[in-house]
Amino acid sequence: MFKKSLIALGMAGMLAVPGMAAELKVGFSADALTLDPANHRNRETETIIRNMFDGLVTRDSQMNVVAELAEGWTAIDPTTYEFKLREGVTFHDGSPFTAADVKFSLDRLTKENAMGGQTSPRQSLLSALADVEVVDDLTVRLKLSDPWPILPAMLPFQELVSAAHVAAVGEEAMADAVNGTGPFKLVEWRKGQSVIMERYDGYYGGAGDIAPVGPACVERVIFQVIPENASRVAALLAGEVHIIDKLPAHMVAQVEANPDTKVMAVNGTRTSYIALNNQEGPFADIRVRKALAHAIDRQLVVDKILGGNASLTNGILSPDAFGKNKNLPAYEYDPEEAQALLAEAGFADGLEVTLDVDGANKEIAEAIAAVAAKGGFRINVTVRESSMLVSRFRTKGEPIDGQMWLTSWGNGSLDPVGIFVPTHRTADRGNSSGYSNANVDALLDEANVETDRARRAELYAEAEAIVNADLPKVYLWVAQDLYGVSTKVTGWQPSSDSRINLHDACLSD
Amino acid sequence: MNVGKLIERLLQLIPVLLGVSVIVFVMMLVTPGDPVEIMLGDQHVTEEQEQALRHDMGLDLPPHERFFKFLSNAMTGDFGLSYYHRQPVTEVIASRLPATIELSLAALIFALLVSIPLGVLAAVRKNSILDRISTVTSLFGVSMPGFWFGILLILFFAVNLRWLPVSGRAGFSSEVEPITHLLLIDSLLRGRVDAFWDALKHIILPAITLGLPMASILMRVTRASMLDVLNCDYITFAEAKGLRKSQILIKHALRNALIPTVTVAALQTGSLLGGNMVVETVFGWPGLGRLVVESIFVRNYPLIQAAVLFYAVTYVMLNFLADILYTVLNPKVRL
Amino acid sequence: MTDATADNGRVVQPETIFRRNMRNFLSSKLSVFFLFVTLGFLVMAIFAPWIAPHDPNEPDLFRRLIPPVWMEGGDWSYPLGCDALGRDILSRIIYGTRVSIFIGVVVILIATTIGVLAGLAAGYLRGWVDGVLSRLVDILLGFPYLIFAIALIAMTGPGLHNIVLAMAYREWVMPFRVVRGETLAVAGADYVEAARAIGASRSNIMLREILPNILSPVLVVSTVRMAHVIILEASLSFLGLGVQPPTASWGSMVADGRSFMLNEWWLSTFPGIAILILVLSINVVSQGLRDAFDPRFHD
Repeated sequence: MFKKSLIALGMAGMLAVPGMAAELKVGFSADALTLDPANHRNRETETIIRNMFDGLVTRDSQMNVVAELAEGWTAIDPTTYEFKLREGVTFHDGSPFTAADVKFSLDRLTKENAMGGQTSPRQSLLSALADVEVVDDLTVRLKLSDPWPILPAMLPFQELVSAAHVAAVGEEAMADAVNGTGPFKLVEWRKGQSVIMERYDGYYGGAGDIAPVGPACVERVIFQVIPENASRVAALLAGEVHIIDKLPAHMVAQVEANPDTKVMAVNGTRTSYIALNNQEGPFADIRVRKALAHAIDRQLVVDKILGGNASLTNGILSPDAFGKNKNLPAYEYDPEEAQALLAEAGFADGLEVTLDVDGANKEIAEAIAAVAAKGGFRINVTVRESSMLVSRFRTKGEPIDGQMWLTSWGNGSLDPVGIFVPTHRTADRGNSSGYSNANVDALLDEANVETDRARRAELYAEAEAIVNADLPKVYLWVAQDLYGVSTKVTGWQPSSDSRINLHDACLSD
Repeated sequence: MNVGKLIERLLQLIPVLLGVSVIVFVMMLVTPGDPVEIMLGDQHVTEEQEQALRHDMGLDLPPHERFFKFLSNAMTGDFGLSYYHRQPVTEVIASRLPATIELSLAALIFALLVSIPLGVLAAVRKNSILDRISTVTSLFGVSMPGFWFGILLILFFAVNLRWLPVSGRAGFSSEVEPITHLLLIDSLLRGRVDAFWDALKHIILPAITLGLPMASILMRVTRASMLDVLNCDYITFAEAKGLRKSQILIKHALRNALIPTVTVAALQTGSLLGGNMVVETVFGWPGLGRLVVESIFVRNYPLIQAAVLFYAVTYVMLNFLADILYTVLNPKVRL
Repeated sequence: MTDATADNGRVVQPETIFRRNMRNFLSSKLSVFFLFVTLGFLVMAIFAPWIAPHDPNEPDLFRRLIPPVWMEGGDWSYPLGCDALGRDILSRIIYGTRVSIFIGVVVILIATTIGVLAGLAAGYLRGWVDGVLSRLVDILLGFPYLIFAIALIAMTGPGLHNIVLAMAYREWVMPFRVVRGETLAVAGADYVEAARAIGASRSNIMLREILPNILSPVLVVSTVRMAHVIILEASLSFLGLGVQPPTASWGSMVADGRSFMLNEWWLSTFPGIAILILVLSINVVSQGLRDAFDPRFHD
């Protein structure tokens, strides 16, 4: 009898697996570093967290900034923005969301030592935010130190926390004590393995401009960490997970051939390029830089190695970015032209150079080396740790140790400030070419504070034209982000900012 | 074993730990790569903001001050904050450690379960087919590169046959309230048969991959020591007395023959911990090894320091344990 | 080797033991077979340019991922298929032998030389020499091997020489421990006492009297560790810290093929088999040596 009931218990345990059909699993390439939205600078962490926390604003599928926890906003003057908050929003613990929480969250992000003695590593993302003023329960004003037109574009990834919750659990506990306003609440975070969430039934519905509005479709969501590419794909094909990120291009055909899975692609925001040492060595000569650009058959590499899933770019900005100059001339593949330019520069017998690359991009670097041979370049690929390459090339104007580096720069906001300035302004952080052009610097600085959108776009377009002629780097492409998705998933779209927003995702049988 | 010896062994830990700390610190100092730059990644940041972050991470101090600060804090058990997790490294390590311990134990148990019976049988039936097969198997076991073997196992059992999951530590249709943080044990303690099965399915392939070289070594050791024991006088004597063969084996021979096996097992457990990082990478196992390798690549200094010290202490302790086991099992030896 | 007639006090003539041991070893068919397999790899490494059908480093994106010859789409010119950059896998495996064997041999030569000298000194001189060396060994062993190697390579950058250094730096510990133990054991033997009595110098005693007597265990430990070093190099390559491209190394071939394993399984399977066969051969040889030298000598 006793034995029987034990068995029955065991059976019940097996059957009690909650809501199989409504449990959406994401095979994700990395774990979150923390679940505290103010305490990281990490894209993967952001992707996971953003399903539990909402921000004042968000982005729609066209990457336009739209109101989320805010009803709307107005720029009262170039340095003051007023946000009206949505009514009736509650945190996961049921407490109401108010303007005081907005002020608390933004202060926590921007004020020195505001996180129990530490300063948020995200402070620089809102560098121009000077103060937040609570007007009433549902109105806040954001005061800027200087005119800073990109404020709304920088806000989608600044999530809001509950002031009372932080006071109750303490700063340190914020790493895994989640109380947000997002569509899902935290069940458990198994570090290194998975983040398990369940639907928050009291959810206010999300951005009014993005249908559908209401609580999330699925009951549970699990981000399962699977760092190995092949394992992630195998898990998708075996039906263990429903969505995977970072689908390698060479496995696209396989995912498509499986009747239960499909591939979804979205234009990424990461520009790949070869940074050339403009300070000294062969690439100090613009003819050699141009020769290299003509020597690389970019389309062939994209077709063969990336499966065609990338769009070529002739400048640092992605084709989707604000202010992109659409009329930049391309350096077409032309090995004869490359050899002629090399000969003109004194390398009639060709030129031997070293291309540095990190392990993740080795295959692409070797492919580039292979295709550039016809144009007279003998390229030796050297794989180094990316940490080491960063210190060798991103020297902020100091001498660069190396000749060329295959690298990339991401730009989730799709605003030039996040990519054009750091990679091309004289001696800036990401200027891995030692490039310096006073005209470009002036244009970038002017655009930084220009509040008229059209004028701002013109400034960037002008700067990009100058850079295209100077060619400090060989601009390659912006790769698409590829996702493998089960055909059971409906209502979900990948997003250019690499976010995986599961609010609208449903599972069918 | 007396207390004096014990204290002496513990005192020997001090120069080892100090030496390890110095070496790690010097290595990190001369290795190119700036944690602040790596952490900021693709961001538009001003010089002042960068300096503020550097100060926050304690990297604006001169090296010797950093080292002494590390030492004095380490004495109180404070190893600093992980740059990336922004939490105390001890907590970060503690959150990953159970997975590593569980996998190492599973590998150890697998190795013992395979090696002892096979080793004994090989010795008893010396030069039989079985002996030859076990010899060949053990040679394959030590010659198989773990990362490759792991990939083959995944291909065969997870991708083709779909018997076992591809990667990870557990599926997630259920949560088990942690007690020991070892999933296999917790799920049993909580009476969750489903969760236990799930955890078991996940651990089988990585445990075999990790445990195989050890199983091979232990099989050779068991076989050799069993042969030694079987040649001893008292066994011959017992046989002469007419005792049943199985009785002799279990009662007399096995006990003595296992002394070297157990000792070597304790010593080899250290290398299990060290070998974890490759297996953890292949199987996406959420353990410490992978975390440490990743930390080296991103120059997460506090975490590297603490983890290496942890490994060193574990190593010394396991050696010590091997000595104790040897003494306890073999009363003739004094420590 | 020493001149046997020069030392009157010698009780055991080491050459004889060593020779007898080698004869024992050569009488095992299995050991000899695998000795030849190992030598075959050596020959392959030396004559790679004449054996390999193609240039191992010549890419052609139009040959990308050609399958092995027995599969649909296979090509007799590339019997084991091509990798992601269209390079011939067979040729890369043949050239990869060079990396594995070079690293195995050089690391073990360096490590054994250092380990033997240090072990002799520690075991014979004892005192502070032994104390310092033994503590150093404790410290080095306290690091997990891979972490140590990864950190060292991160420090110096990848490349063949740095890998050799990163491994030899700690590998000497293994012969050191064996030699130290053996030296302690024979330091009181009659022939050592006799040599000391006739006034032989300490270095003479260590190198001429003790060393020849402990060669057998040194040979055994060297071969075992060589197998180990080859796997370790492959593991480092697998973690992305191996030799520089386009040089073919078995470990990096397995690693590069890893993300292709679901479909293009041949990329990582064949180099993996190569590692397995070479390491297995060395291990069998080592096992044979051990059995021949001392049936009861276990690690």
